[in-house]
This record gives sequence, C-alpha cells and structure tokens, in this order.
Amino acid sequence: MSVAARFARSPEGVAGLLLLALLASGALLAPLLFPGDPLSIVGRPLLAPFQQAGLPLGTDRLGRDVMAELFHGARASLIVGVSAAAVAILAGALVGTVAGFGGGMIDEALMRVVDAFQIVPGFLLALAFVSTIGPSLGVVVVAIALGAWTGPARLARAEVLSIRERDFVASARVLGMHPLEIALKEVLPLAMPPVLALTSVIVAGAVLTEAALSFLGLGDPNIVTWGTMIAEGRNVLRTAAWLSIVPGLGLVALVLGVYLFGEGLVEALSRREGQG
Amino acid sequence: MKRAARLFRRRMLSSIPVLILVVVGTFLLIDNASGDAADAYLLAIGGGDAGYAEALRQDYGLDRPVWVRLGFYAWNLVHLDLGRSVTLNRPILDVILERLPVTLWLMGSAVALSFVLGSLLGIVAGARPGSGTDKALSVGSLALYSVPSFWLGLVLSVVFAVQLRWFPVSGIETIASGKTGLSRVGDVARHLVLPVASLAILYLALFLRLMRAGMAEVWRQDFVLAARARGVPRGRIVLRHVARNALLPLVTMLGLQAAGMLGGSVVIESVFGIPGFGRLAAEAVSGRDAPLLMGIILTSAVLVILVNLAVDMTYAALDPRVGASDAA
Amino acid sequence: MFDRITRRTLLGNAAVLLGTTALPRMAFAAGAGGRLTVAADSEPRNLNPAMVASNGVFFIASKIVEPLAEAAYDGLTPLLATAWEGSEDGRTVTFKLREGVTWHDGKPFTSADVAFSAMEVWKPLQNLGRIVFANLEAVDTPDAATAVFRFSKPTPIQLIRNALPVVTSVLPKHLYVGTDIKDNPLNVAPVGTGPFRFADYKPGEYYRLTKNDTYWAKGAPHVDEIVFRVLPDRASAANSLEAGEIQLAAFSMVPLVELDRVGKIAGLEVITKGYEALTYQLIVEINHRREHMANLKVRQAIAHAIDKTLVVDTIFLGYAAEATGPVPANAPEFYTPDVTTYDFSVDKANALLDEAGYPKGADGTRFALDLLPAPYFEETKQFGDYLRQALAKVGIDARIVSHDSAGHQKAVYTDHDFDLAIAPTVFRGDPAISTTVLVRSGIADGVPFSNQGGYVNPETDALIDKAAVTLDTDARIALYHQFQQIVTADLPLINVADWSFTSVASTDLKPIANNPRWAVSNWSDLEIDG
Repeated sequence: MSVAARFARSPEGVAGLLLLALLASGALLAPLLFPGDPLSIVGRPLLAPFQQAGLPLGTDRLGRDVMAELFHGARASLIVGVSAAAVAILAGALVGTVAGFGGGMIDEALMRVVDAFQIVPGFLLALAFVSTIGPSLGVVVVAIALGAWTGPARLARAEVLSIRERDFVASARVLGMHPLEIALKEVLPLAMPPVLALTSVIVAGAVLTEAALSFLGLGDPNIVTWGTMIAEGRNVLRTAAWLSIVPGLGLVALVLGVYLFGEGLVEALSRREGQG
Repeated sequence: MKRAARLFRRRMLSSIPVLILVVVGTFLLIDNASGDAADAYLLAIGGGDAGYAEALRQDYGLDRPVWVRLGFYAWNLVHLDLGRSVTLNRPILDVILERLPVTLWLMGSAVALSFVLGSLLGIVAGARPGSGTDKALSVGSLALYSVPSFWLGLVLSVVFAVQLRWFPVSGIETIASGKTGLSRVGDVARHLVLPVASLAILYLALFLRLMRAGMAEVWRQDFVLAARARGVPRGRIVLRHVARNALLPLVTMLGLQAAGMLGGSVVIESVFGIPGFGRLAAEAVSGRDAPLLMGIILTSAVLVILVNLAVDMTYAALDPRVGASDAA
Repeated sequence: MFDRITRRTLLGNAAVLLGTTALPRMAFAAGAGGRLTVAADSEPRNLNPAMVASNGVFFIASKIVEPLAEAAYDGLTPLLATAWEGSEDGRTVTFKLREGVTWHDGKPFTSADVAFSAMEVWKPLQNLGRIVFANLEAVDTPDAATAVFRFSKPTPIQLIRNALPVVTSVLPKHLYVGTDIKDNPLNVAPVGTGPFRFADYKPGEYYRLTKNDTYWAKGAPHVDEIVFRVLPDRASAANSLEAGEIQLAAFSMVPLVELDRVGKIAGLEVITKGYEALTYQLIVEINHRREHMANLKVRQAIAHAIDKTLVVDTIFLGYAAEATGPVPANAPEFYTPDVTTYDFSVDKANALLDEAGYPKGADGTRFALDLLPAPYFEETKQFGDYLRQALAKVGIDARIVSHDSAGHQKAVYTDHDFDLAIAPTVFRGDPAISTTVLVRSGIADGVPFSNQGGYVNPETDALIDKAAVTLDTDARIALYHQFQQIVTADLPLINVADWSFTSVASTDLKPIANNPRWAVSNWSDLEIDG
C-alpha cells in the first residue's frame, strides 16, 4: 500500500490536510479576492461583522477590512512558518552533517554552539534579535530559525554518525572525494528523512512564535499578520472582541492543521517502515 | 551516588565553554543593535541637547571600545559579579533575584499542574488505545496545544477577570497591601491563577500526548503481554506496568522544554502585567541594557543547565542503564 | 452579596489546585483621606525632576519635589517662589521665596537651595534647563528668601515665566552638596518640599508616596497615600479601572477607542481637560538632504495629500485638533491662525508632484521613500499606516521602517537614515523651549526632537535668534507669529494634529483637571469622597 493510501486512512491526517488546503488556498487567493493593500482604510472604524455587504467581518480600529486582513494574514503566517522551518532544517542539517562527519574538534566546537543555542530560551533570543535589528519579514524568519535549528542539527548529527561508517562512504574516500563533498552529496541526503519528520512541529512552532512576536509589536509593519491583528484587537477587546478572536481562531486552525497533517504523515510513513 | 557526582562535575565543566559562547554572542548582538542605552534614555525623557547625550554615554561607559567593555564584563563575571544595570542603575544580581522568583513560581505551578493533570489524562487515554475516549482526548489535546498562549491568556482575562471579576486583572499581588504570611501567599496565588492556567493548558496537552504515546509503546512490550496472559486485572496493568514505564519520557521532556518554557513566560507576563523575568528581559532589550540582558540570558542558561542536570540525575537514579556509559 | 460568596468558594477551589490557601481579599479600601491608586505606564529610572524634566518623571515626582511656580489657567500659581520680577535690561530676574517651608527631613528651605539647584543642576545637568538657563551666570542670595538670577545675555522674562513649572524643581542643597549629583541615591528616592513624601518603590509593581504632615500649605494635602501602580500595558489600565483596582488613569493610558464605553460606566468619568500646557504635536519630519524632499513642491504635495480631518476623526477619534502650524491653538499667547494652510486635495498634490518633475511611472508610482513612525505612541504608528496609504494615492511608495525607541533615535536623529519620520513633539508653553529647535539649523547630531532633517534657512535662524533675546513681550510674540508663517510656507516639517491626553478617573476624586498641567502638578488639593 502506498504512503498516500495509508495517509488517506488516517482521519486526523485527512482533516489536517483539508484544513491546510483550505488555509493555503485562502492565502494564495488573497491577492485575487482582496486586491490592493489589505492595510488600506475602507470604511467606518469598528464596524461589527455582518453589518455591511462587502465587509462581512466588519472593520478594525482604523476602518480596515478584517476579512481582507484575515486572508492576507494567513499568507504571512504560512510564509513565515514555512520559510523559518526551511531555514532551521537546512541550517540544522548542514551543521549536524558537518559536525557528525567531521568529528573531532569540528564536532566538539559545533556541538558547543548547538548547546549554547539550546540553553538560551529561543523566544528571548528571537525577541532580542528582532528588536535590536528592526522587524522585517526576513529578520523575523531568521530570528525564529535561530531558536529552532538545534533540534534538526542534533538529529542530523546522530544520523550521520551511523551512516558514515557504511561502506559507500569508505569507498568514496578511497575514490579521493573531498570530505565536504562526501558529507554534503552522499551523507546529507540519507540523513534528511528523519530530520524532515520534525517539519510539522517546527512549522507549527514557527507560526506560533511569529504570532507572539507580532503580538509584542515586533512584526513587519508593512504586512498584516494575525499576531498584529490580535495585538491591535487587544486594546478594543471589550468593545470589539471579534477583532482578536477571529485571527486567534485562524491561528488555532493553522497550527492544528499542521500538527494533524504531520501526525498522519509520520504515522503513514512509520507503518511502511514497520511492515517493510 | 558517586556516579551522580561524576555526572555533575562533567556537566559543569562542559558548560563553561557553552556559557562563554552565550556571553560573547549576546554581547555582540546587543552591541551591534541600532541605538544604544543613551539613545533609549534620551527618548524616554523627551530629549536633551548634544552635550547631554555625550555625558550620558560617558556615564554608561559607552564611549569605550566594545572589546574593552566585553573584557571588563568578563573580568567581573569571573569574580561572580554580574555588574550594574545601565537602565536601572542597580546591581544586576539584585534585580534578577527580585524578578526570578515570580517567574519560577509561575512556571513551576504551571508545570506541576500540567504534569499531574496531563499524565493522569494521558493514562486515561492510553489505558485503551484507539478507544473513543482516547481519540477524543488526543485530538482535543492537539487542539489545545495549537492555541497561542497569549491569546488564551487574553480570553481568560477578559472572561474571568474583567467580566466575572473572579480574579485580579494583572500583577502578582495586591500592591502595598501590607499582607504577610498565609494571607500574602493566598493573595499571590489568586493573582497566579489565570496566568498559570494559560500556560498549564498548553503544557497539559504536551504531557498528555507524551504519556499516551509512551503508553501505546509499552502496551506492545512483552512483559505487558505476559501480564495480560497471566490474567492480571487490566486496571492493575495500566497503573503498575504501563503508566509507570511511560513516565520516564515525560521527565526527559521537562529538561528539553525548560528553555522553551522560560521563553514562553515572556508573553504571558506581558499579558498579565507580571513583573517577572520575561518582562525584565523585554525591558532590557528596549533600554539597550547590555549587561542586564546578558545577566538575564546567562541566568536562564544556567537554570536550564541545572534543570537538565536534575532531570538526568533523576533519570540515572530511576534507570540504572543511564549514566554508566554517558557519551554526551 | 450572594454572588461574592460563590466567587470566594470557587476561588478557594482554584487555589487548592495550586497547593495553597487563598483568603478573600477586600476589593479596594478607601476611607476618608484614603489611598489613591493611579496607573503609571513607565518606571522612570531617575525620579529627580530637577535633572530630568520629563512628564514621566513629573507624573510621580511633582508630588514630592516642587518647582518655583505651577501653571494655572490664568497664569501661574506661586509655589516655592511667591513673586518674580525681571529687570529692564533682561539680565536679572529676582525671586521672592516662600518662607516657613521645610524639607521632608525637617531642614528649612532657603535661597541657597534655589541657587544650588540652578547653578549645579538645572543649568549643567537638566535636559531642558541646559537650554533655558544656557546664559545664566550666577544666582545671588542677598537673604534667605531672595534669589537673584543673573544672565550674561538679555533673557526675556516671558520665557522664564513660561518655563518655571517645568525647569525649576528645587533640590535640598544640604543633601546634594559635595556628592556626585548624578549618582546621589536621592535621585531614586527624592526628598523635596512637596505635599507627599517618597515612601517606597517596588520595581515592576508600584511607587508609594505618603502624606507630608508638615506641608507649608495648611490643611493640605487631603489624601493619605498615593500609589502609582506600574501597568505598562494600556489594555490592562482600562480593565483595572473597571475592576476598581485603580482610581485614575492619566496620560491617555486608557486607549481612545475604549473611552466611549468606559465613560458610560457608573463611577468613572472621562476628562479631557488638564493637559493644555502639555500639548503634543503630531508632525511629519522631513529629511531635506534627500533630493525629493528638498523640493518645496514635493513637501507641499505631501501636505495636501494628508486628510487632517480623517486623522483627527479616525486615529484620534476626535480627541485632537487639526494643526495649522508649529504652535498649537491652545497656546493662545503665541498662536496665530494667519498662516499658509494646505487643504486635503489629492488633485493638488498630484499636480504639484507633476510640476516638481516626478511623473507617475507605468505602475502609477512616482518614487519610493522610507517612512519611520516613532514607536512610542499608538497614534504615531497608526498615522504611519495612514500616511503610507495617503502617499500611495498620490503615487509615492512609502515603505514603513519600524524600530524600537533606541533604534528609531539612532536612525532618525543620529544617522538621518529616513525620508519622512513621524514624531510626537511637545509644545512646552513657550516656542523657545522645545519648538524652535525643530527648525533651527546647526544642531548637533543625535539630539532627539530637534532639526535633524538638515533644513537650513538663514531667515528663520535669524528670527529664532532674535526672538530669544527680545525682551518686549509684544515684539517677541510678533516674531513668533512671523516664525509660524515662514514654517508653514516653507514646510521644514508638516504639522498634522495637536493632541492632548485624556484621563479616566473615579467620580470620587475632586477636584480634577484644575490646572493646565494637572497630571504633573502636586495634587495637594485632591480629595477622595466617600
């Protein structure tokens, strides 16, 4: 049975996939459904939902279309979540591979760096990084990745340690390949699958971290994010609770979708391994 | 016991280069930031002339080159002196000792509560893997785990503090109440209910899932199958054999999550106006108070190391296989 | 009463979960005299108002350390000085000091304290005093109740008068002399002559002041204790007021958008008075070093592109006034409406930009620029969002660059790395204190809230310098009228709105907002009813 078929039999996984598909299509369609700047003022401030056609979710404190912000916000969350996870996994896998393959002093030094990052609370680091450099999308992505790359690094190193003793690595050495080339071309691809299994957890964590940073006012001011929406809604929580509740539900749906999907996928993959 | 002492010594020694990395990294990060402590202060007081700014920089020692300042800091650190905060003009150790207990209480209560509830619910879910209760609990916990803690905090505070007025809106205790002893403890506990709940719900899901996953694993093992074959009552198997063995990974998770939990308190402290460690860190960053931020990061790093050490030592005590051939 | 019991039971249950016992807490106990609990949104690290003349410091310290005089709706209220007179040549000002005043430690207050504060603190160390007292040469003390200020250049008495409430907080000489003033421990636990004594400070939680029983004004103060509760988060100020945990939130700590709702709650009232002498100005700072911005037509176009009415109605929800120029209308002594104005007109803006030689490109954009809104007010950030859109409508692509306070200070005021910035400047009663520096050339880099846009205009410079030494009040005012006309015509900066703060207070507090610096005055007459 293929992985896809096994995945299809897991109701959680399918639910997660559907949630993600829904949110991703919303994010992709945002520029088409709501062209123009979602931050532009389109109506009376604090218009309640379902009051005016064209503004189904009402407007925020400055009279911006909440529906448009919500769709564009999904975009920001997904972009940040996926790119931060990609950066973290790539950087982690690279460092882990080099450390594991290089061994000796290289390993020792790199693992101390991993330790250093692991004992510093990731959110504190992200907070310090973004507020001292200034928030923009790229900086936020790097800041989140800074606190997330150590897991992949450790895992990749452990994988590499077991792979490097295999025959083909020895033969590559005999053939005179540069160690770095062996590490990156031969070993890294094999070490990747278990590391990739961390993806869903890292993406979910990244989405939540981004939201928390934006909530503390450290989001990119040129784009809408759900965290910023919640932060702005917070001041009017009593008069217009929907402004913080709606993006909050969006976050829950996205993170839940990522977890469910990841869980279904890991399950489907592990069953294959178990059977094979 | 001898093994524990060896583990302790080895861990402490290997931590030193890590801590040095942390100190230098943090120092350079904040030194490369745009704007310094004098800039932050000038704006906070609504401005002053150029000579004023210059005088401030001299006061703060910012006119000296970065390596001199770093060296100076390191020299003090070797003498166990964390230095003085630029923004608060007080010894950093005092400031940290003042703020840390609040955060430790917050984190400690949240972790204790979620550990107990989470593992109990995990046992309920894991007692019959695949049952309706199990499905409901595991999907439910996943949903809870997906909730941003700050958002949950906001919702809880509006409902329970502002609307129902069951709990105070913010702070850690009734200000200048003159309360002592038990009544003060009670007062602090009342203030902690909502922030602890916001954090605990998140961790509860984590522990529940771990416990459940661990139990599912143990169910498949031979000694459990053997016990079932012997006709040992199910309830007894669940508690005596399965749950007990599934508890170990939870202890490990405590160590792994320690750093993350400390970081997570920053946002919750901001939502509930709690003068803890997290808020201090945010203030240090915005005030460009490099020594203070370093003191905070260093303290949390040491805390994380200590928690992990405690976890490892507990683990070593529980499981004799660990520690004998410790590679890490 | 019934539901309270239920609450307690529930509380008890919740507390048991934490392994502790919760005892019910009485909500808020305010007796006669009583304790006043006030929200404070920041924790000044230095509480010495003689060194740091800022509203954050005054808010707390003005109750402890008093200036020579306080602002009143019809001039000045004498505090430590009872009378003041400037000489004909503008080189001396003589203060008659109040007699029978003692410091909180029991020592008498004398002219020596004033002389010491002026020469050792205000002039060399105070952020604003360094400007106002730049030409102060000496302070003579012919007797214990007289202080004569001698200036090296003619100094308008009008300026000194207007500056008195802000720059003349008097310190006890006997506790400061011979110490390192900047590091004196009293800077964080001040001793003064005011109606309240400093009691204690718990970082992150509160400042507590207690009644000064030996205050010089008989029968005052009425309140036993003032607690400033640190609530850095604006959303929680409103909640705490509603929950009865605090009785006053000043300086707009309650978000504007909540005022409507909060004002309807029984027992609370919204007050917009009491800040007339602390008018904040929403301005667009312009970097004249940048080619586009050096072009007057571009600046005029930007002025036309801003819908001030929308800014006042939407961002400030009406709690502000449209600005006409660098002096706000609620400073009637200096204000003139007779200036160049820019009505909101996208067409005019577009036409001006076309004339200036920046036609729209194929994508509808003329040019791009960096916009840096000051991060320390919600309104400056919101105006940043609005300005970005307003500029987009006339074909200017503004990218918002966001920094925290320190980063903003460095980027705008030191590195000049901006095209447009948004600042909340303050009009402090006299244009010479903190307004003309926004336009005057030759100011060193790194000075916040000053002309860091590289604007140079010899005409305004000459005008500013002349007004600074013009003794005749009418002639001085005429010069400042001219100043407003030049600034609005040449647009070194664009004034968008003038706003004052709001307070939300318990209706038990009386009297409230009875002077134009009420929040930062000494509150000796404040009472809590009930």
